[in-house]
Amino acid sequence: MLEQITLNEVLIDAAREVFETMIFMDIETHGQECPQVSGQTITSSIHFASKQDSDLNINGKSMLGSITFTGTLEGCLSIRVGKDCAERIAKNMLGMEPDQELSLNETCDAIGEVANMVMGSIKTRIQDIYTDIQVSIPSVITGCEMRNTLGENASKVVAGAWLDEQEAIEFTFLYREAAK
Amino acid sequence: MAKSLMIVDDSATMRKIVIRTVRMSGLEFGTTEEAGNGKEALDKLQNTPMDIVLCDINMPEMSGLEFVKAARKLDCCKNTKIIMVSTESSEELIKSVMADGANGYITKPFTPEKFQEKLTPFMN
Repeated sequence: MLEQITLNEVLIDAAREVFETMIFMDIETHGQECPQVSGQTITSSIHFASKQDSDLNINGKSMLGSITFTGTLEGCLSIRVGKDCAERIAKNMLGMEPDQELSLNETCDAIGEVANMVMGSIKTRIQDIYTDIQVSIPSVITGCEMRNTLGENASKVVAGAWLDEQEAIEFTFLYREAAK
Repeated sequence: MAKSLMIVDDSATMRKIVIRTVRMSGLEFGTTEEAGNGKEALDKLQNTPMDIVLCDINMPEMSGLEFVKAARKLDCCKNTKIIMVSTESSEELIKSVMADGANGYITKPFTPEKFQEKLTPFMN
């Protein structure tokens, strides 16, 4: 079984890859050199939270994009962001200007795709150990103080990130090994 | 003559991102069509055959895998190049969909350079 510390690294690496490649947001990790992506316009940066500021405070209306997976490892990957942060991410993905209008559907669709791509990247990184993972189609809900749970025998890895040191992004990976 | 391109993905956002990334790659297409799943793509292709189709795998109604098999049975698609674009990256799946008739495979997240590399052989 994967150690949680390893899975935490997998989650951060997957999120980093998606944000740098598809969302054009640079990602920093405390105390580490931040890699630049050549030929792309970096308009914002996010950094992953240290343990001291890992208690991310996403107040008010937020979005939760989730994608479930089944196989020998089963569970759910989620990204939770505030409404404004979700819109910034969606506009960056679509190459829109900050003052351009974006519908709620477009924002939800974008956050769902972020969840889908981060899960895809995680799957690629663990497929040597878990060869049979099948993922669902992503879903997005809006609300306040939302959390995912997976019932008994589940483990949880949470990676927090800050966008421009102002807005929080929370990635949660809930998982358990399926009963044989 | 400029080539035609169809993007098949259930996410409208992802279709826009693919179009934007193709544009960033420097490749130019005469016409660009979109479809939200494999079934919609087949319906459109029967009316308007396309040169290149970029197709997601994990879609409702008709998946990309089902689309490739169905498209290869149609006369209108016999010359169409189908490139899968997906987060799915297992070697087994890629081999299987290529055996079913896909002409290439791009994994998400992707870069403009990746589109250039995979699509340029089909541009002439």
